[in-house]
Amino acid sequence: MLAKEIERAGVPTVFVTSLPTIATMVGANRIVRGPAITHPFGLDETERRRIVERALEMLETEVEPTTVWEVDPS
Amino acid sequence: MVWELASFPAGLMGEPPELEGVRVDLVRGGEPVRITHVLDAVEPRIRPDGRAAFPTEGKAGQGRTNRLDGVVVLPCLDFPAEERPLHEQESVIDLSGPGAELTPFAADTNVVLTFSTREGPGNEELEAWARVTTLMVAEDLARPTLDAEPEQVERFELGPADAGLPSVAALVQLSDLGPLYYQYLYGVPVGRAGLPRAVDPAELLDGAVTCGEYHWAALRNPTIVFQRSALVRTLYREHGRRLRFAGLVLMRGYEQTAEDKQRAAAAAAEAAVELGADGAIVTTDAGGNSHTDVMLTVRACERAGVGTTAIVAEMADPDAVGSGLTDWVPEADSIVSVGNAEELVPAWTPERVIGGDTLLDGTPAAGAGPIPLRNYLGATNQTGQHALTATTW
Amino acid sequence: MVRAVHYLNQFFAGLGGEEAAETPPTRLEGPVGPGRGLAAELEGIEIVATLACGDDYFGEREEDALARLLELLERERPDLLVAGPAFGSGRYGFACARFARLATEQLGIPVLAAMHEENPGVAAAEGKVLIAATAVNVAGMREALPRMARLAEALAAGRELGPPAEEGYLPRGFRRNRRAEASGAERALDLLLDKLGGETRSEVAGGFDGVEPPPPVADLSTALLALVTEAGCVPQGNPDRLPTIRAQRWLRYELGSAQTLAPDRYESVHGGFDVTLANEDPNRLVPLDTVSALAAEGRIGRIHDVFYTTTGNGTPVAAATSFGQEIAAELRDAGVQAVLLSGT
Repeated sequence: MLAKEIERAGVPTVFVTSLPTIATMVGANRIVRGPAITHPFGLDETERRRIVERALEMLETEVEPTTVWEVDPS
Repeated sequence: MVWELASFPAGLMGEPPELEGVRVDLVRGGEPVRITHVLDAVEPRIRPDGRAAFPTEGKAGQGRTNRLDGVVVLPCLDFPAEERPLHEQESVIDLSGPGAELTPFAADTNVVLTFSTREGPGNEELEAWARVTTLMVAEDLARPTLDAEPEQVERFELGPADAGLPSVAALVQLSDLGPLYYQYLYGVPVGRAGLPRAVDPAELLDGAVTCGEYHWAALRNPTIVFQRSALVRTLYREHGRRLRFAGLVLMRGYEQTAEDKQRAAAAAAEAAVELGADGAIVTTDAGGNSHTDVMLTVRACERAGVGTTAIVAEMADPDAVGSGLTDWVPEADSIVSVGNAEELVPAWTPERVIGGDTLLDGTPAAGAGPIPLRNYLGATNQTGQHALTATTW
Repeated sequence: MVRAVHYLNQFFAGLGGEEAAETPPTRLEGPVGPGRGLAAELEGIEIVATLACGDDYFGEREEDALARLLELLERERPDLLVAGPAFGSGRYGFACARFARLATEQLGIPVLAAMHEENPGVAAAEGKVLIAATAVNVAGMREALPRMARLAEALAAGRELGPPAEEGYLPRGFRRNRRAEASGAERALDLLLDKLGGETRSEVAGGFDGVEPPPPVADLSTALLALVTEAGCVPQGNPDRLPTIRAQRWLRYELGSAQTLAPDRYESVHGGFDVTLANEDPNRLVPLDTVSALAAEGRIGRIHDVFYTTTGNGTPVAAATSFGQEIAAELRDAGVQAVLLSGT
């Protein structure tokens, strides 16, 4: 699992995926749920920016193992 | 409720009785002896008031009980070949050599009862005979204490404690996997004893629980582990100092279906909540899916707001990487490891073997080794009786 | 006299810096560079030869590099192989671990590597190679060499090692017994009371080999961020033929000064989903346009000018783990401080 190995080397990694359950199973720690398999970073630039900013926020946050964030926290 | 445990020196020990079909050997820790096919370990106890030391009725843990200090009764029996138990596993105690410090309760004066098998009775009948005889001998050996003065009297009672202290319960797992794999509560196999159930902690120390379970030598809890329970003693000692001892819940491992496991775990957690526990120490008996019962109990407790610490042994290939937990849930973030039962104990040649000359795997007991730690009785005790642990190398 | 061979990368072997990173496996006589310092510390062991290989050569042609190195090693009739110290250098540490592992598996000789605990080479060793713990950079050379010498001597003598902390090697992951200070019951009570007091710890890690999340990025506005994808994003035409499924490798592409992934220049070859939308705009898989804009705005320090790609579709765990370690090695060497990984 790419995320886990990169993190094992000490580099914080945020994984944007529309399948967070699989991501947690394989041990990714910072996970943001993307909208769809075909376009995890959204369709247009506006949506993309929201997703990327959420991902960056997660990189700046201390987390417990296998944490999943939605793009728009409710 | 108050219970007193009066200790008497080993020298008072009575003469072991002569019993038909039973060979009696007296051996001491440090002698070059290997004992095989060990079924259980029992500390001699007797009650001055005449009630049974291992009662099947009434309630233990009140009044006074006498104990012989430094004496252990060890029944040995090689079950007949035609009816092998479910997963027989060897059970060994070494009184000297590298294995000696791994079963510390055998540092005492050991009264070894070797039960001979004979034509006719099957495993269950033989087992019952061995178990009942052992408990009777344990009581007999302590009889001279009735006419003596104790060296020490310990008092077990739970007085008032500061309400600001955290409230801690012990959740003790007992096993029931059918005949030859029973632990007993007042003589009743625990599967039929209405578990989970809160009992007075002194009941556990005073012979309410006995062991008739014969697999997983290092991981199962012989009778003596309950009699001498370091966990219960520690909680009594710390009551009023670092904690309030909320109580003791006995729960069953080896529930046989997923639904039963979930149900039992939830019920154990509820029992802890009823005791008012802020936290609970969860213990394990034996190996395999009993560890799943422990983990489900941990999860149920955490979800009910009771913080837990679990005590388990590991089964890790010592030459491979990775933890040796048999089962795990994410809520189990506080675990005591009582050692890796797969580690090998270096080979050692005893001068004498008692119990049976051939190990269950066919190798000669005197020449055997290295022997896996899991075959040493009580070595990786999962109620935290000993100081063994595993670390990552 | 025990015959040892020492493995170094191009830099420590004195063959040059990054410009020599493509140096093929080479043999040098006796100890070289830090090998001289190591030789001075060793008793009863002689470094008969040094083998060197460029970090990039190894990274790009691993199989070939290993085969040549093994061949060169065999010719020395070695009793022992020592690799490193690689400190925090990811590609170098990775090569040390891989070569040492192969050497012990193929030649049956004891092997010793040396590197920092976070070096991806540690994971690549999978416990099969004894690794001396070192500092993260070359300032730790003075402590590293005597430590390596003691461990090398222990290996050569077949001496049983004590616990990692005592002997100075990195824990390999074996669970071994020792006597604790107190009974399990006392320890359980201490653990529980600490937990109830807000401090949770455990004597054994559960989980299925999870990794502790690294600390968050302290200041993203000055950080170097890299893009990695499992969505199979490649240059138009898939010039290096990344497989659409069960990819057995990963690829690296220079982004140059590109601020976006243009649809006529990039495509996705992932065989596990409909790539139409991704091919209309590859930024939907690898958001270069957004991160570039954010970098220009000062939200992110810099975007790494290389992105990494593979097809995470049916890839076996062992391969994925290996890719991750290799990519991690490069990222660390490049000083990448944060990674945005996209999957499906």
